Amino acid sequence: MTAACREACCSVTPRFTVTELFERGFRRNRAAPFALEGDAIADAEGNSARFSLALEADRIAEIRFRASSCTTLIAYSEALNELLAGFRPDMAAQFTPQDLVAALPGVHPLKQNRAVLAVAALRAALLTAATHHTARPRESGDPALDSPLARE
Amino acid sequence: MKVAYIFATSRHTVSYVLGKMILPQLEENRHGVDVAGMFFFEDNNYVLVKGNPTGERLVQVAKAKGMLLMGCDQCCYEREIADKLFDGVPIGCFPDLYKALSGNMPDQIITL
Repeated sequence: MTAACREACCSVTPRFTVTELFERGFRRNRAAPFALEGDAIADAEGNSARFSLALEADRIAEIRFRASSCTTLIAYSEALNELLAGFRPDMAAQFTPQDLVAALPGVHPLKQNRAVLAVAALRAALLTAATHHTARPRESGDPALDSPLARE
Repeated sequence: MKVAYIFATSRHTVSYVLGKMILPQLEENRHGVDVAGMFFFEDNNYVLVKGNPTGERLVQVAKAKGMLLMGCDQCCYEREIADKLFDGVPIGCFPDLYKALSGNMPDQIITL
């Protein structure tokens, strides 16, 4: 029996770099969106992004997106997923483009405006989630009143 | 005639063809054609990193002649040099390259 390779070539630790986030985000960009989907947001350069959310116990479980094939935009979008998983939506909504730029060093200065688009698309999805959450009828605690038939 | 160069192969493309042929000819105004822009793939992007001596000369020529220099964005991110390029040198992919060249369209694109 041979020991597992511990060299860098076999490391399974994901790195938080633009190129690795792009690799992971490129795959997520092709995944089917979740039901809680925000409006598509576009910028003046022709890029667009649309985010969707999976919530578990009122916290973000995963963020998916459909973004233009821009390396920086996909990396920023994936970074949002990896940074904000586990956050409450209201806390995630406070995350700013400046926070995103600061969280991911190494982005070319002329491409850092992609963070604005990514965060705007995230906030659109958070708005959908908030609307959906608010629209749900409150439960009274009475099984008779809280049944689907009673709501109708 | 106006051309654009795409440096797609590695080997001697930058150190020899660019550094010892094209660049000196451009500096001496005897290249024979106008160069609208240069786009760099793979390891060729290291010429655009601040401090590279060939890159220093190339940036000077580009500024003097209004020549576009652009690095491949994925190539630069993969090498973690995207934020270490000469000031004002952009990175991008094909849409960015075509858009940047659209105002100064070359007659021929030479892939090296």
